[in-house]
Amino acid sequence: MSTTAWITTLQFAGVNALFALSIYATLWTGVLSLAPIFFGAVGAFTFGYLAGTVGLSPFLGLVLGVVLGAALGALTAALVIRLDSHYLAMATIAMVLIGRVLVVNLTELTGGAAGTLVPGELGTWLWLIGCLVVAGYVLARLAKSRFGMAADAVREDAAVAQTLGISPRRIQLVGFVISGAFGGAAGVMQASFLQYIGPDTFYTHLGFVTLAAVVLGGAFHWAGPIVGAIVFTILPELLKDVMGEYDRVVTGVLLVVIIIFVPRGLVDLRRVRLLRARSRQDPPRAGDDSARPTAPQEVTA
Amino acid sequence: MSSPTRSAPDAGVVPDAGAPSAVSIVDLTKSFGGLKAVSEVTIQVPTRRIHGILGPNGAGKTTVLNMVSGFIQPDKGSISVFGDEVTGLSPHQIARHGVARTYQNIRLFAGMTVLETVAAGAYLKRSSTIPGAIFFSPSERRERREVRDRATDLLRQVGVRAEPDALAETLSYGDQRRVEIARALATEPRVLLLDEPTAGMNDAESHEIGELLLELRGSGLTLILIEHNMRLVEEFCESVSVMNSGAMLAQGAPSWCLEQDDVKEAYFGKRSDAARIATLRRARRGPGGS
Ligand SMILES: Nc1ncnc2c1ncn2[C@@H]1O[C@H](COP(=O)(O)OP(=O)(O)OP(=O)(O)O)[C@@H](O)[C@H]1O
Ligand SMILES: [Mg+2]
Repeated sequence: MSTTAWITTLQFAGVNALFALSIYATLWTGVLSLAPIFFGAVGAFTFGYLAGTVGLSPFLGLVLGVVLGAALGALTAALVIRLDSHYLAMATIAMVLIGRVLVVNLTELTGGAAGTLVPGELGTWLWLIGCLVVAGYVLARLAKSRFGMAADAVREDAAVAQTLGISPRRIQLVGFVISGAFGGAAGVMQASFLQYIGPDTFYTHLGFVTLAAVVLGGAFHWAGPIVGAIVFTILPELLKDVMGEYDRVVTGVLLVVIIIFVPRGLVDLRRVRLLRARSRQDPPRAGDDSARPTAPQEVTA
Repeated sequence: MSSPTRSAPDAGVVPDAGAPSAVSIVDLTKSFGGLKAVSEVTIQVPTRRIHGILGPNGAGKTTVLNMVSGFIQPDKGSISVFGDEVTGLSPHQIARHGVARTYQNIRLFAGMTVLETVAAGAYLKRSSTIPGAIFFSPSERRERREVRDRATDLLRQVGVRAEPDALAETLSYGDQRRVEIARALATEPRVLLLDEPTAGMNDAESHEIGELLLELRGSGLTLILIEHNMRLVEEFCESVSVMNSGAMLAQGAPSWCLEQDDVKEAYFGKRSDAARIATLRRARRGPGGS
């Protein structure tokens, strides 16, 4: 592969990572949602339309994408959060399908089936890495916050979380707002790199690729989706050189293997902690059963 | 209040005229399909009381606790906590009224360390906001420190022996139950519901739990526990309710209740004798069940 092709691939890995973080934000609260693809579409087409008609600056376009996405996230949550898990997932997939219908039919705004051109000023490494750093930082800071611990609790056992005073719907609403903000930004970034967007830009393929990235990388730590998106975008390109048309088969098989052998994904603190517990139990203990474990305390991960 | 339950005099089961009970359960009824799991059960638990709920397997004890904590909704009857009606509220609202609980089948959060598990229980006690967390404000930092210190204190208080950074799910059953108690205490409850807290523990460990109950009551808590260890019940519970097949058999002082013929019968069938009472006193169950 040529250097330019590599650079393009890596840039799309970065945008996919942003979408994957958006999916992660709701998954963190126990909700499987593909709505980020829809949020991305709305952000991107709004940006394209306003840039074309009133000359909206790219930076304001990105800000608008974040704000619009967050508002849509809240609205989506209000509509679907009552549904049971798999019906909720279905409803968000339906949003992706409806998004395409809207793009095709709102010709005035979206360019319809022909699509529309978008300014490419934001399509640079600087903006991409900037967005990823901000998104990663926000999630890392939230990880051990009041919200983050509640999100962990809701995902692991919503009923028990409730008896601790946590309202799962409230937590999930916040998850949707964060997801919306990231999704809107990801859409604007995607559009900026492509400089052309159409009905198929934000569709099921993008949804499944980014969802696979989350599953592969791990949905239990914010770094998981980033790792997953990079691996899952680069690997097919690498394989294409050797495998030709069969690269998708290999990535599919890889996904299945990961689901079977590391179901919690590549980045998984729990696995690290389990391994540590095992190594800790190995040294023989003193005779008294009630004695404290004698293994030295290790550094917290 | 139509149930023909007999109550021991002076057992404090009948509510005082003045102060409201910590927990007041009136005519509580719940059926699963055709099965009456709980039938017109009335229990009054005064403040700062250690109250036991006894009864053979399937008596409906856990179902009562599930209704008090809002896990399941009763078909009939009412529940109030310190005079506030909580019937029909969702569990997180009931938690805000100061009710916390543990589970018969231990329910810890997968992947969390011991310390994180207890810290998760401090949700209601934390006040930080999302922006505060993102910008890592001084108050956020202080709060995190306080939560960690408080969780460490609670773990020491309940007697967890494992390291705070160990994965909670890898601990012994005894420690897992203690972590659950610490998580419940982190909500700073006024009422603590314990579903078989000593299941799977030996005598010494069970006794430690009993001492912990006394200590907690001393700090103002009201405790309701489901317990099969009769020695523990007689030593630490000031009053008990004995259930069988969803109905209330007797309420009052533990020693008085356990002498009632129908209580003995519920536990051992018709032929009750001293030898079987001894078995009863040693009765112990492993973890698991509904
Ligand atoms: N969610 C449920 N759905 C259907 N039946 C239930 C449910 N929960 C409890 N039951 C039934 O209700 C009855 C009472 O159960 P419960 O768990 O309250 O008994 P228990 O007194 O706690 O018994 P144990 O000592 O075995 O824990 C049992 O027959 C049980 O099978
Ligand atoms: Mg039970």
